[in-house]
Amino acid sequence: MDVMIQLQRQLREHSAFLRKEGYLDDQFEQLQKLQDESSPDFVVEVVSIFFDDSEKLLNNLAKAVEQKAVDFKQVDAHVHQFKGSSASIGAKRVKNVCIEFRNYCEAQNIDECLICMQKLQFEYSVLKNQLEYLFRLEQQIRAAGV
Amino acid sequence: MELHPDFADTQQKQKQHFHVLAVDDSLIERKLLERLLTESSCKVTCVDSGDKALEYLSLLDSQEIEYSTDLSSSPPSAQQEAGYMKVNLIMTDYSMPGMSGYDLLKRVKMQGSSWKDIPVVVMSSENVPSRISMCMEEGAEEFLLKPLQLSDLKKLQPHLLKSLVHPTEDISTSNDHGSDNNMMHDITTLNDSDNVLVSERKVMSPEPLERRPKINGLLVV
Repeated sequence: MDVMIQLQRQLREHSAFLRKEGYLDDQFEQLQKLQDESSPDFVVEVVSIFFDDSEKLLNNLAKAVEQKAVDFKQVDAHVHQFKGSSASIGAKRVKNVCIEFRNYCEAQNIDECLICMQKLQFEYSVLKNQLEYLFRLEQQIRAAGV
Repeated sequence: MELHPDFADTQQKQKQHFHVLAVDDSLIERKLLERLLTESSCKVTCVDSGDKALEYLSLLDSQEIEYSTDLSSSPPSAQQEAGYMKVNLIMTDYSMPGMSGYDLLKRVKMQGSSWKDIPVVVMSSENVPSRISMCMEEGAEEFLLKPLQLSDLKKLQPHLLKSLVHPTEDISTSNDHGSDNNMMHDITTLNDSDNVLVSERKVMSPEPLERRPKINGLLVV
């Protein structure tokens, strides 16, 4: 089927793009390896949890950095959590922003923290779009194969 | 090789697995760990805090007491089940709110703790040497860096096997001491997609048994 071949090519190219641009690293591949007949939707399930988690974290972070008296320990705790979950799914860019963010928390540099906050929100929404596109392609391939 | 009929029977009925208690406050981590462990043929129980972990361990203890009072009269399957529920390994995240993984480790390894012999593995996303040595000194078997991979679980194999060689019952007859010499290592390989399962069974002498032979778990190598 032409459609199938085209879809598969798109999937390959998109996956390669995500790796090359550093959106995703090896850990994402590890997740894909854990997906099989006994756990056919594993990657989507884990990433969905990641999306839910991240949105809550970003909300909490936004509130925390907007306080008059910023509690850097609290901010750091949220970022630490975000760093952990992004590392676990292979979200490399998001993870790297978290690392930077934590350094500024330690230095108690509110200006840089606010910049990191924006970077984080940006990187996260880009990643979310990229992954949703990836999953859509996979879904279309599955549908075309039936 | 002649197998005692009861042994063969229970071997068919029960597919013993290592029972791992996974402790992490992050849902993503729990899901990942559960998948990794299931992929390695382990039975997994996940809890989200150190307190819940201790609660669970206590619960198992009280269940075992219930079982052991009826052991002489209960069917082999119930005896197997008491052993089946037993935790063979605890894997805990280091940084958790409230009781940390380190606190949990200390509690489990405490003098007089009934869980002292359960191997504990600590996991962390941060590579802090002082943290690692602290945990090892407190009795942790391994310190693993997150994110965990299937290859990390291979490292745990010796610890899991060690936990099974430990006597779990109080009844020890002369047969028991002799059984080490009579230990038959039976390696059977089963195909499970690409994975190879290795089972190691410790078989007692084939005379009429008062104790059921322990069937050790299946591991993906």
